[in-house]
Amino acid sequence: MQELLQALPGAQRALFRLHHIGGCASCGFRPDETLAEVCARNDGLDPVRVLAEVEAACVEEAKMLIEPKDAAAALAADGSARLLDIRTREEFDAVHIPQAHHFTQDLMQTIMSDWPKDGLLIIVDHQGARSLDAASWFAGHGFTNVRALRGGIDAWSLEIDPNLPRYTVE
Amino acid sequence: MNDDLQSRIDEAVRDPRNVGEMADADAVGTVGSADCGDMLRMWVKFREENGRKVIDKATFQSFGCQTAIAVASMATDLIRGKTADEALAMSGEDLSAPLGPLPPMKIHCAQLVEGALKDALKPGDTPPANPAPSATAPTLLDQLHGPKSVKITLQK
Repeated sequence: MQELLQALPGAQRALFRLHHIGGCASCGFRPDETLAEVCARNDGLDPVRVLAEVEAACVEEAKMLIEPKDAAAALAADGSARLLDIRTREEFDAVHIPQAHHFTQDLMQTIMSDWPKDGLLIIVDHQGARSLDAASWFAGHGFTNVRALRGGIDAWSLEIDPNLPRYTVE
Repeated sequence: MNDDLQSRIDEAVRDPRNVGEMADADAVGTVGSADCGDMLRMWVKFREENGRKVIDKATFQSFGCQTAIAVASMATDLIRGKTADEALAMSGEDLSAPLGPLPPMKIHCAQLVEGALKDALKPGDTPPANPAPSATAPTLLDQLHGPKSVKITLQK
């Protein structure tokens, strides 16, 4: 799996969206497992078909990203659109986009039970390194309109709201 | 996953039963870790009934997995009135029966509930076998939760 993830960085996200594999510890896989082994203990999936699906999904994955300007327009136009900030509490307290909800365990319960599965849900992190994984996790749980903010809040500061200070993380 | 199953899960998650901590519980069981978000905890309270000690009430808390929440919601109803031995005899399949058959990729969600129940009623015993390996690669949930704390420096 390690080699697969190196060749196709979006493979794990695709596997979870498509087959609920790799999302959490219960459905995870070891780096040294082969795709065939992972498929064998997940309903005997056909590894050749799964590989083809993953390759196609990785190409499509770019569509999960949303540009900051498009996110800003969507949030302004669609009152039901939600912005979910998955950074740490320290980062959120220091700087956040005004409409953002800070992600917590309690909020996760609310999201899973109350937030509409077809509503626009935009995931924001610091610089876009984790948001695609998070978006895929929600997509794998049935959220059909989830996007990851390209470049995170850092890009938002640069392109949408220069009043939001940029920052570095140690 | 078929639409019927998804709609039953959605319905159960929309209005889960028996959610929350039970302050006066007689037993508590946990599987997974809240740190990684993949955790389910169950509280059980007993009462005497016709000379038998039966489960009066069970509640749960779960993070992350919709199916586990749906199964736990139904399981906490199913085990009411059963003795500990009767409840322990129930498999993940039994506990998730009201949802209908789960696809193989979702069976671990029912096993999570079974594990929490077993941990509550028979602490120290190994939870049911989990099809996923114990030492997994970083998961999407790990990425969703990210680091707990970081030190940041605002740029001038």
